[in-house]
Amino acid sequence: EEALLPAPQNISILSTNMKHFLTWSPVTNQGETVRYSVEFQGEYERVYANGSWIPISECSLITATVCNITEDISATVAYNLRVRAALGARRSEWGTLKGFFNRNTTSLTPPVMKVIADGYHLLVELEDMGPAFQFRVRYWRKGKERRMQQKVVKEVSSVVHLDTMEARAEYCVKAQSYVEAINRSSSFSQTQCVRAQGDTSMWL
Amino acid sequence: TAGNKILHFGACRVSMSMTEIRAGFTAIKANIQARDPIRTLSILSYPHSLHKVNASDRCCITRHLFDFYVDKVFKHCKTEDSYVNRKISSIANSFLSTKRKLGQCHEQNQCVCGQESTEKFKQILANYEGLNVTSAAMKSLGELDILLDWME
Amino acid sequence: SGELYCSLLNPRNVRFESINMKNVLHWSAPEGTGNGVLYKVKYSVYGVGKWIRKPECKNINRTWCDLSSETSDYEEQYYASVKAFLNGMFSDWVETTRFNPLTDTKIDPPMVSVSSTDKSISIILTAPEKWKRSPEEESVSLLQVYPGLQYNVSLFNKKTKKRWFFSTSNHTLVVPWLEPETAYCVSAQIHITTPILDSGFSKEYCIATLKDK
Repeated sequence: EEALLPAPQNISILSTNMKHFLTWSPVTNQGETVRYSVEFQGEYERVYANGSWIPISECSLITATVCNITEDISATVAYNLRVRAALGARRSEWGTLKGFFNRNTTSLTPPVMKVIADGYHLLVELEDMGPAFQFRVRYWRKGKERRMQQKVVKEVSSVVHLDTMEARAEYCVKAQSYVEAINRSSSFSQTQCVRAQGDTSMWL
Repeated sequence: TAGNKILHFGACRVSMSMTEIRAGFTAIKANIQARDPIRTLSILSYPHSLHKVNASDRCCITRHLFDFYVDKVFKHCKTEDSYVNRKISSIANSFLSTKRKLGQCHEQNQCVCGQESTEKFKQILANYEGLNVTSAAMKSLGELDILLDWME
Repeated sequence: SGELYCSLLNPRNVRFESINMKNVLHWSAPEGTGNGVLYKVKYSVYGVGKWIRKPECKNINRTWCDLSSETSDYEEQYYASVKAFLNGMFSDWVETTRFNPLTDTKIDPPMVSVSSTDKSISIILTAPEKWKRSPEEESVSLLQVYPGLQYNVSLFNKKTKKRWFFSTSNHTLVVPWLEPETAYCVSAQIHITTPILDSGFSKEYCIATLKDK
């Protein structure tokens, strides 16, 4: 009788900035191509739907050992995940992630940010980190840290206007990403400083 | 954007990912509503719209409705379409998360039930039990935007 | 003389097209039919028992019917249905999907008016009005329908070719400390987070800052 296909091992989650990936070690079998299928189970399924599992069609009989589960992990509850190997008609046992995964454990990084001084205007360009993200942008005139101001930027379309600057003054900016759905923020980015357009006589 | 919503019911404040739930429902709305051939009855709006509920009863009705959807509705909405099932799971797990928070408000007496909300919820259950369970569940799921519109 | 009863192909693509809650039923003629096909229309409020005929859209040869008046209560949802007939033949009633005026409408861009001084530009934004039956009827701004409504404003400096974005829920925006005698172009968009509704950007309104006093 054919040996049972071993279940995938080393199943783990890589989750950064609300993008979640399930990974596992490959199952080898005399060089033949082994395929994998992934299923998930939210807390709702566990508690109210007899522990049912839901297949992720994009990760059904795939050869890769990674699956993007972001779209299915779309509530802030504890999820179970499992993966099994397949070779022809042979199926392995399910390998299940040890412990639950809740998206509120995702690691959040500060946004890539570019600060621009355009005349007397302080502007910031922020990386688009996805629909779940907003940004807290703090800015202050150099030397006047106690009068720091904050703007919440929800729409990252392009260059966002922060404020006007006093002539020749230097202003500093830092930003953190914030995810409302899990009520968590990243650390702040590096501070960047720029100087307002100088010669006042040109305009005043 | 994220579109989290802070639902204010007096002292009870519940944060809810409204945009995510709306996006999930919008993705399957046509599919789910097409499975409901009964035009002449609404689970949530018959005989009176949710909009007729007193402000003081809003928290209680909302809590009852989240319990209703989590306890009764979602489990009977399994379809042959894997994509639809995944979206239903997404909505169900988001509802579970909000149901818990509303439950905590109730335990802290911040979500009191008045006569009106009790009557209204009884009517909703009667509408639901007037149909066979799969039709009732699919109709209720198809009316999710009625609930979301009212909540907003 | 052929069958007594002969059916016509159905109207196609029966749907609501809605802008600022002006809700118009549209459809395409049955396949292969030229002119001469007539139509009749009925509608119903979801959850209410009866279909209601629309007299103004009885025996019409056009392929649209304005149901804005009948569907103006955006706390309700609706179905509409169309039947075609030609030379004694007629089609089935063909229905729309369930129509929710609140989430299924499209929003026009805001109206934008701009003025300038030598160093600033003032922008006044006005959200479109909800459709109304007659000019005499009281206007309802979409701001009242969608309390979370916001404006995204784009300001383009024609000299430096740089574009800045502002996001505001106020209907006025003043951008100070600009360069005198410089042309700026403004356009704006309406942004509603839930339900998820965005207008397109308005056309650009260009104005120059004045000569330095």
